Amino acid sequence: MKKTPKTQKNIDKILAERRIIISCGTGGVGKTTLSAAIAMRAAMTGKRAVVITVDPAKRLATSLGLESLDNKASDLTPLLEKACNKKITGRFCAIVPDTKKTFEDFLRDLSPSQEITERVLKNPIFHIFTKEFSGANEYMAMERLRVLSRNTEYDCIVLDTPPSRNTLEFLDAPELLARFFEERLVKWLVLPANKILASGVKKALSLLERLTGTGFMTSLFDFASSLFELRVRFMANLKETIALLESQSVGFIMVTTPTPDTAQEVKHFIDTLEDHDFNFDGVALNRTLGYLKTEALAKKEAKQGIEEALEVMKALQAREEKAMERLARIKAPVCTKLPELARDVHSVEDLFHVSMALDISDPMVRAS
Amino acid sequence: MSAERTRSSLVKDVLDRSLVFVSGKGGVGKTVVSLAIAMVRASQGARTLWVTFEDPTRSRGETKQISPDLWHLNCDATLAFEEYATLKIGAGPLARLFIQNKLVRYLAKASPGIHELVLLGKVWFERTRYEYVIMDMPATGHGLAMFQSTKNFSALFSGGPIHKDAHAMLETFADPAVTGQLIVALPEEMPLRESLELNDLLLEIFPQNQPAFVANRLFPKTGETLATTPDKWPSPLATSMLDYVIKRTVLENFNMRIWRDLNIDYGEINFIPPPDNNSHEIISAAIAGQLTTKGYM
Repeated sequence: MKKTPKTQKNIDKILAERRIIISCGTGGVGKTTLSAAIAMRAAMTGKRAVVITVDPAKRLATSLGLESLDNKASDLTPLLEKACNKKITGRFCAIVPDTKKTFEDFLRDLSPSQEITERVLKNPIFHIFTKEFSGANEYMAMERLRVLSRNTEYDCIVLDTPPSRNTLEFLDAPELLARFFEERLVKWLVLPANKILASGVKKALSLLERLTGTGFMTSLFDFASSLFELRVRFMANLKETIALLESQSVGFIMVTTPTPDTAQEVKHFIDTLEDHDFNFDGVALNRTLGYLKTEALAKKEAKQGIEEALEVMKALQAREEKAMERLARIKAPVCTKLPELARDVHSVEDLFHVSMALDISDPMVRAS
Repeated sequence: MSAERTRSSLVKDVLDRSLVFVSGKGGVGKTVVSLAIAMVRASQGARTLWVTFEDPTRSRGETKQISPDLWHLNCDATLAFEEYATLKIGAGPLARLFIQNKLVRYLAKASPGIHELVLLGKVWFERTRYEYVIMDMPATGHGLAMFQSTKNFSALFSGGPIHKDAHAMLETFADPAVTGQLIVALPEEMPLRESLELNDLLLEIFPQNQPAFVANRLFPKTGETLATTPDKWPSPLATSMLDYVIKRTVLENFNMRIWRDLNIDYGEINFIPPPDNNSHEIISAAIAGQLTTKGYM
């Protein structure tokens, strides 16, 4: 089933339609700032909004001047009210979850007994798993979302996905993790030695042991047998998460910057979302320069350094125009544009300026 | 020029080593900078390998010749694992059985750490076949995980051949006579701050190997100054093109204090206006030119 919208939707329309917005994109495109600005926009329209950012660098925390966010939401509404200088009926909250803690909570929730929880927590593979398994951050973001979606405290949830090189890593995380729980795999590993194993499996395992040493194999068997105990509940959670992501309450947006490669990446993203049966709501373009108009320079301003800088800006604007043309050619809906900032976002007040500057006009509609 | 030369002596020293890891947060230009370094080496007639790790936009696994002395490897964990296993257990029917076994495939793919370990292992193995190997590391967190996993796993696999190899590998990467770490950042606050975190983490793993720093994409300097520092500007938005251009150079100069205040010995790469087709090669060639004219290589 094709879910790509036939009509363009701006970010305000998306906020009106969806309870949950998931922003995807590679690192370095300003996803966190944009996600927070979108949640703030919802708060300004009277919604109780929260932004979750699962970001090891804790960028949102720094940009909002909040040094230690944790699994609890921080209510930033008073700061927003101060920034816009009026009382608002909505709420603006932020959560920066602690991946390790979320993982442990998740484990306690799944585990049938305290003993199994302890066994997993003590296993060295679990430690490396939570720290370094490339899908762990991504999966924990979804897990946070699943738990939070059942909380009636919020009318709007914006999930800023972990930064990754590949936009689609987030979407592949559940499948990657589910692999661990795949019955056949775990069965192979947890079958007691006296059961008959296929001779191929036996040989493979003995070779693996030769490569890795016995310590690793013991930990691995232990880890696998602990996971085996959790699998039923894990699979149930996973099913619930996937059903949530596929539902009409969730919309995905892709955050990117306007470069010649953008259209290609967007197309790939849309195709993958369709494969997963997720709703694509549009592209959010960050660091756009279109809002800066070139003005004639007075003689005293036309110094050499400035001229050189303006040349660079012109080249960047020309590149942006081309990127927009390419996006229009593949009929990719653009839901919002965020202007390139003259400095970083340091406070809720700064974020308020950004939130109000989100260009919600629809470029495709405007063109026709 | 001579001032720049003395200020960037560590950059020159690090770039002189036969293995260079180029790290930094996402979007700072690691790919173009690492390719530029490799281009300079190859142009000097040295047999050079440029390595990317599972870059989804490039075909995986094979080594391709780019120019007479320059090769590119888009390192792929699945292929590297197969190669490694074949190396360790021979190329007979037993090895095929092992590699093609579903369980082994699952483990190789899903096990945390193995992935990173075999990627670095592949580089370590390839180093003997080239004079210079320049690596485009994944973004900060993912890149660091490659070294950390190797370290953690070296302990976890005690007794097996992987342990021995991982240990030897780490020794090579820790040795400042052989391996250099280059941290790339943009003149923006977050990337600069993260570069310091990255520096600390790398030093934790390789205490004897001080990374060098490079600021990429420095905007043309306008020579303008403003009465206020950027944190005092009322809004993060610019009001006009001229306002933006002036603020940008003032901001960059302000941001670079993060490195200057720590007396960091850093190199500078100027902004390259984007070519029409956004070709990495064109940008890298321009950066390669800067690396030599500025005396970093």
